[in-house]
Amino acid sequence: MIKSYILISMRPGDSEKAIAAMRKIEKIAKISVVAGDYDIVVRVQVDSLEDLLKVTDKIQMIPGVKKTTTQVIEKELSL
Amino acid sequence: MFYVLAFSSAIIAAVNSGVDATVSKLFIPNGWALGFATFAVGIPVTLLLSLMFSIPLKGRSVGSRFADPSFKRLRLLRREEVFPQTMAAFGNALYTVGYFALFVLIEDPSVVLPFTQVVILYLVAIESINDKDMPTLSEIQSILIVTFGAILGSISLSGSLNFESLLIVFFVINPGWVLLTVYQRKLKWIKIDDQYNDSINIRFWNVLFSCVLTTVLIFGYDLMTGSNHLAAGVSASVNQFWWIALISTGAFFAFVFYIRALGIGKASVVQAVRSSTIMFSIPVSIVIAYLGIIDPFSTDPVLLIIKVIGIIIMMMGILSFALNLVKAYIFIHVKPGYPLEETMQKLWNIRGVSRVTATAGKYDFIVKIRIRALVKGYEKIIRKVEGIDAIESFKWESVLKEWEDI
Repeated sequence: MIKSYILISMRPGDSEKAIAAMRKIEKIAKISVVAGDYDIVVRVQVDSLEDLLKVTDKIQMIPGVKKTTTQVIEKELSL
Repeated sequence: MFYVLAFSSAIIAAVNSGVDATVSKLFIPNGWALGFATFAVGIPVTLLLSLMFSIPLKGRSVGSRFADPSFKRLRLLRREEVFPQTMAAFGNALYTVGYFALFVLIEDPSVVLPFTQVVILYLVAIESINDKDMPTLSEIQSILIVTFGAILGSISLSGSLNFESLLIVFFVINPGWVLLTVYQRKLKWIKIDDQYNDSINIRFWNVLFSCVLTTVLIFGYDLMTGSNHLAAGVSASVNQFWWIALISTGAFFAFVFYIRALGIGKASVVQAVRSSTIMFSIPVSIVIAYLGIIDPFSTDPVLLIIKVIGIIIMMMGILSFALNLVKAYIFIHVKPGYPLEETMQKLWNIRGVSRVTATAGKYDFIVKIRIRALVKGYEKIIRKVEGIDAIESFKWESVLKEWEDI
């Protein structure tokens, strides 16, 4: 299981439709709308790096997505 | 989704409370027997519903489409679930027997339910310990508002409330509900075959375990006091099967939605939203009073005004409490020459940090924050992060809205 964060910068005005499209992508576990350098942070859980590429590709194909930065999780401490 | 689940659970629970009141008044006026019967009849009912939800439909199970996306089919219990299920079942057994004992003492559900909402106090205390966090002044204010609202909102329009019933609420029902909530949340977060646990299997096994523990509890009580509640429970299960099956069906859906909501939000916030059940229980009380099942309501305007004010105050407290949660991400760059494991542990030790992830990419760490007041973000988190030598720079990104698929 590969977990990662995808940090997304959006074009202004497209976020609502983009989030609706992201919610349809199966491997996305969490979508957070954030205020700061990025607009949306997505948490992805996939079986392989190839699947991660597919999810990233699907996100990049959504109209309004300007840039994505993928952070693959190496270790995690969680409540 | 979170609010839809919690409110659906609240509405079903309120309607179910009307059926509970009817059954306890007309057919089974023994809280112990009714408590046992709900689990004894609950097993076949929950099994049937779980099997129906296991039927495949276009590649996924019916339950996965309509109740919980994590649900595949009814399955055997895993070893790691045994302890939390036992604790949750113990809580459920205490809660259920106490709840029905209360209905025997006080007939009107709109009197009974507000006091059970004070359970939020217990949950906040437990979360404060678990989350390495202390309640803020605004949290304490919200809790006090909810408590006082509950006291005013519970004024009985049919004139019945006694000290014994309050003892049952505070020392049996509420601690039982806390155990049930905390361990059901733990169960929902257990990974089964790389997927989060599903609420349907959790509910089915909980009913089974609760039935065993309730039987032990009632049997022990019968032995000590010479009473005959267990036999009365068996008899009630047979004689009033369909009424109890109706209660069990309502409870099944109320719990499945509640457990799913617990997987998404904090236990105290889910409880806060679900406490709207007292609002929904008022029309239910009016209907059963109109049908002559419970005593007719007082039309004293003073009592009515106090009760309505109490409920409004309580809802305001719940709303401010639910909206209090602040989430954020911190994206961190570290300096070379410092061990990453040590830095990770230092970040994890900061109060309010709910997740630390070491990542490969532009940033070295992504930290998730969960606090109840933004002011804590600076005082308790930023200052601590700045104090870690290994950290070169960081960015704080506040979460405005979040969707989670559990």
